[in-house]
Parts: sequence; structure tokens; C-alpha cells
Amino acid sequence: MSQSLLPECTPLKKEYDACFNSWFEGYLEPAVAAASSQEARAAYSKKKAEEFQAKCGKVWESYKACVQQAVKAKGLDKLLEQAREENPLVDPPPPSTLHK
Amino acid sequence: MHFFSQIFQYDHPWSHVVIGMWHKYPNSKCTHVISIDTIDRSVDPETGIIRTERVFGCKQKAPVWIVKLFGGSEDAFVREISFVDPATRHVSITSVNLSLSQFATCYEQIHYTPATPNKTNFIQTAEVQARMALWRSAADGLEKWLVQRFEQNAQLGKSGFTDVLRNLWEERHRQPATSS
Repeated sequence: MSQSLLPECTPLKKEYDACFNSWFEGYLEPAVAAASSQEARAAYSKKKAEEFQAKCGKVWESYKACVQQAVKAKGLDKLLEQAREENPLVDPPPPSTLHK
Repeated sequence: MHFFSQIFQYDHPWSHVVIGMWHKYPNSKCTHVISIDTIDRSVDPETGIIRTERVFGCKQKAPVWIVKLFGGSEDAFVREISFVDPATRHVSITSVNLSLSQFATCYEQIHYTPATPNKTNFIQTAEVQARMALWRSAADGLEKWLVQRFEQNAQLGKSGFTDVLRNLWEERHRQPATSS
């Protein structure tokens, strides 16, 4: 796993990444299978979103606080703000752009 | 504007590629990627779509003229937003440079979709565009400043030479009178 922006955040980053990866690897294939019906998908998504929060929520808060400091220290906060304004990217790009 | 694109198939099932994408770095061929941080992540409890926002820190030697002209450094930062949609089995990743973004943008998109049960399509496109509006306004400002400096210097030149001519000829006119 790569480093964090600031070395002091790296242990938290590694802990968070490991937590996410372990959750994600259990999540993905059943999520694909659950997609056959909308009800099953919603039920599975809700359950797994809660599980992710319960498992990784705490380390995420610590890591996020650390990395936010790091982003400021590197002077990236203004650049990020601008980038978010220009391209919010809050929703997935439409599939129509895929095979242009 | 410059474009880049490539299409490729990985010999792995879609889910393996998507699990693997979180382990892409570090790798021995991409040593320029130094740091990766997740700065935001959400799991949609309705759709199951995972949205992740990350910041990459890279070290890449830029040509000297670029560093001199734009004041860049070896450190370059990139913002990446990815969406993993298990329902449509579609991953999209968008990356935009944060460093030097006042001068130019590099907008990269990657898609991973299943090709066959054991193969995954990889589609990558990038658009590199200099910010012409900014260039124009900077060029316009430079021109205005140059015109002002020119006008000032032209005024000073004119009035300076007027003085020189007056002094020269006043003196010459005076000289014959006093010498005779």
C-alpha cells in the first residue's frame, strides 16, 4: 500500500484501506448477484452500507481528520475546492458517454 | 486540445479487476505515484454504488522550461473520483490534475466493464487542454502593460529630445553673438 500525503497519517491510512478492502471484497460479488431485483439490491445495499459504517467508521474519522490537515499543509485545500466547483462529479457519468 | 485513448482487455473477471484496482499502487512500473489518500467515500444505501474521492501525490521530473515558465515542482497532485456500480457492473474513474490547473487541465476517464466471464474491458481516454481564456487574459494584461510603458517612454523621449534640441540650438545661437 502506498504512503499518505504526510507520514504521520500513513498508519491510519493503512488501517483504513485494509478495513475498506476487506469489507469491499465481501461486498462486491453478492452485490452483483443481488442486482437482479430492485428490492434485493436495496436491502443488501442498506445492510452493507451500515456494516461498512460499523466496521470502518471509527478509523475513517481519525484518518479523515489527519488527511484533512495534510491536505491543508500541502496547500491543496484551495485547489480541491476549485476542482470540486468545476467538476462536482457527485453522480456516475451517464453510460451513454461510454462507447462514443 | 489533445486527446489520448486506449482500449484493452484484462484476462481477469470484472470483479477481480475491480477488487484489484484498490491494490494497483504501489507497483514497480509506476514509481512516480508516491501517495494515495481517500478524502471522501460513500456507499449509497439504495443503489449500492460506491463513490470514492482520492488524492494522488506524484513525483515526476518536468522539463526545465515548464518548471521555469509555470513555477511547477516535482510534486504533482491529482484528484480522482470513482464510481463502482455492482448493479450495472460498471466502474468509471475520472481524474483531473490539481497541480498547474490554472494553466491546463488533463481530464482522464477510465471504464471497466465485463467483456466475457473471464475478461474485462478497459477503456481509457484523456483530454489535455490549456486554459485559453486565462492565456488570453494574461496576454491581454501583458500587452496593456507594454503599451503603457511604451507610451510613458515615448512621452519622456519626446520631451527629453525637445530639451536637448532647445539647449543645443539656443547655445549655438548665443555663441556667434558673443564671439563676434
